[in-house]
Amino acid sequence: MSEQTLPGTWQFDWRLPLPHSRRGKVLVAIRAIAVLALVAVAVATPGFFTPVSLFSLLNTTSFIGCVAIGMTFITLSGNIMSFALGVTLSTSGIVFMAVLPLGLPAALILALAFGAALTGIQGFVVGYFRANPIIVSMAALALITGCATLITQGQGVYPQGEAAAALKGRFFGIPMPVAAFLFTTVIAQVVLSFTRFGRQLYMVGSNWRAALAAGLEPARIVLGAYVAAGLCTALAGILMAARYSSGDLELGLGYDYSAISAVLVGGTAISGGEGSAIRSLVGAFIIGICQALLLLNGFSTQIQYLVIGVIVLLVIMLQTLADAE
Amino acid sequence: MDLTAAAFALDRAEQRRDVRGSSEGTTLQSGGDSASVVGLRRVSKSFGPIAALKDVSLDIAPGEIRGICGENGAGKSTLVKILTGVYRPDQGTVLVNGAPASVATPRQAQELGIAMVAQELSLCPDLSVEDNIWLGSLRVPFLHKRPELRRRAAEALALLGADHIKLDALVASLSMGERQLVEIARLLTRDARVLILDEPTATLTDVEIERIFAALIALKREGRSVLYITHRLAEVYAICDRVSVLRNGELVATSALTGLDRAALIELMLGRPSGEMYPEETRARGAPALVVEGLTLPGVVDDFAMTVRRGEILCIAGQVGSGAAEIVAALAGLVHNASGRVSVNGRPLKLGSSARAAQRGIMFVSGDRAAEGVFRRLSVLHNLVATRLRDHSVFGILRTGTLRAAAGRLAMRVGVDRRRMRSRAEELSGGNQQKLAFGRSIERKADGVLLMNEPTRGIDVGARAEIYRLMRAFCEEGYALVMSSSDLEEIVGVGDVVITLYRGRQVGHYRRSEVSMHRIVADITHPVDQVP
Repeated sequence: MSEQTLPGTWQFDWRLPLPHSRRGKVLVAIRAIAVLALVAVAVATPGFFTPVSLFSLLNTTSFIGCVAIGMTFITLSGNIMSFALGVTLSTSGIVFMAVLPLGLPAALILALAFGAALTGIQGFVVGYFRANPIIVSMAALALITGCATLITQGQGVYPQGEAAAALKGRFFGIPMPVAAFLFTTVIAQVVLSFTRFGRQLYMVGSNWRAALAAGLEPARIVLGAYVAAGLCTALAGILMAARYSSGDLELGLGYDYSAISAVLVGGTAISGGEGSAIRSLVGAFIIGICQALLLLNGFSTQIQYLVIGVIVLLVIMLQTLADAE
Repeated sequence: MDLTAAAFALDRAEQRRDVRGSSEGTTLQSGGDSASVVGLRRVSKSFGPIAALKDVSLDIAPGEIRGICGENGAGKSTLVKILTGVYRPDQGTVLVNGAPASVATPRQAQELGIAMVAQELSLCPDLSVEDNIWLGSLRVPFLHKRPELRRRAAEALALLGADHIKLDALVASLSMGERQLVEIARLLTRDARVLILDEPTATLTDVEIERIFAALIALKREGRSVLYITHRLAEVYAICDRVSVLRNGELVATSALTGLDRAALIELMLGRPSGEMYPEETRARGAPALVVEGLTLPGVVDDFAMTVRRGEILCIAGQVGSGAAEIVAALAGLVHNASGRVSVNGRPLKLGSSARAAQRGIMFVSGDRAAEGVFRRLSVLHNLVATRLRDHSVFGILRTGTLRAAAGRLAMRVGVDRRRMRSRAEELSGGNQQKLAFGRSIERKADGVLLMNEPTRGIDVGARAEIYRLMRAFCEEGYALVMSSSDLEEIVGVGDVVITLYRGRQVGHYRRSEVSMHRIVADITHPVDQVP
């Protein structure tokens, strides 16, 4: 009806930037309900609002969050998720610990480069060969786990000296992992919103063939997304290794799952092309708080998995419903 | 056979007489207009604040082929969905055989004999024709006699004049047109008395279209009715007895086609005189912008050559599968095994990369908007600037101010409402989506070549005229345009130079003054040495 062209009439839209689409409304509703429920449970849980518990929550959330931001790049690029980010986190931590004797800066750079290379190879295969991203990530998981176990003999790697102590401290009063998480989120969001790569990532995720027809190079952009994911994940790996003073294959266990949960709960579309780093930050906090609340209320890890599984399932179903207009 | 196809598309007046002649018997039997197989009485339907149908009454006679026309968003699909039980009307009733009937679910519609021929066919490619015909049918008893089913399936196909389709053939081995015939046969075995076809010919070749038309006329002889929805007016005249025109949800007219000329029909659809559909030819022609020699796509196109000058529209005419669309895609760098000598503005270009082509100013507008045209989930703004991020960024950082301004300029150029800048592309009509695809393809620094495949496929008459005007405007600015098309009217209307193609080989090459529909039809349906 309002499709008639009115050249020259450029009116400012004074309305609140509430979403017009049904999908957008569903998203807002999901978040509102989730936040209300969480607040209610949090208030009812004794010991939740104590400094110790909140700091621990922030720390845990930060690790999930960093991986989730990385996962966001992969999901946005239209490649759903990677099962190999957890193991990328662990191995980056191991590499960091192993090369720490070279000094902190060198160790940081090497570990980040290692993480970026691990996912970059997957991105290359997915982008240039159009291989199924899920299968590629599963193969990568098996390969990396196998190689890492062979090399480390299943043992943890412990730091020589105290070079990593700086990473355990605080940054202007904020625990280092939390600072790193916030920093990662801001950088990621800036990259997504204000750089050419970011916008092209949305295009490729939204419609690969249209991106190709428009003269973009989708394969290169997908490779970029995987490298970005590797960098974020390696950062989490480094901080986690520093925190536990060891690099171990066990460290990253389950983090890919928590991360994809955070991405989806945050509202990034599983089919790509829509979402943001900020959304994943919100998602990471929701998942982190859920885990903390379950833990404080005495539920076992199994129950935690179960609850998060149900949440993810619900979110996926809601997303699908919202899409099926 | 092929010549009949040509005649079919062209001599519509004669054809109409033909169709009418064959239908006289049934129309008389049914007692004229008073009998109705299916009808609507004062039906209204709204979605939120938007009224999709307002007070529509309609009667379909037995043995009638009724055209339904209207622009995108006029209410055609809502009407169909009410008839097939997908939507329920807010007000009004559906009549079956003159009596009010409840059509609350698609299954009820099927039981009442109203069937939709699905556009994205609902056949299983890995099953045989026979199995597909009976699949899911409630009329097959648990203990059935296979020969009996076989016979009835064969009868249904024979009725449609599709005896050449083997019952044991896998559906995957059939052409799109044959699949459509199988789909219709399948509905016939379910005793469908009213068949609804929505743009059935969009993906078919002319020969296949003719088969479908023949099948529809056979159905009509049987006394079954057809609702035929299409954007192609030539088809309305070729096949329909009467046409109902919808505009903004209202039924503006139902008219016999005899005595209704095309301009009048377009005016009914638009609510205003259409003006000139095809703009004037461009005056000035420039230097050759794109020279192609020896272009070969293995198995599709053989040794194709052409020269396009600035300011002209070159039209490659061919049926679906002739290679016309593939040539255009290859020039855009989207076909990997294409070979040949191509030069842009005098400098050679290596084929095979769309990014390389884009850098040289070759932009591509796809005919398949959903699959490779627009970014459906992204905003209008981001669709418009998709290809020119490089021009508005410094070290990879976007300059949002200039980007926004550029998007605003482009929206104005192609005629998209600037207030819709933040809407998602998927919320726009087909015509406006196509304008986005045009918008992102122009205003590059290089002297551009614009490639298009079927630029107006699925776009209604009003938006179509705008797209043609836009194409002319680009010509005036010095763009060279190359388009592939299978729409005869469009080819004759906009092509400054027309190259006809048959099975990957060039047949003819015409200037605008030499072009005629007859020549084109003859060319695109015959190999070079057999053109009459």
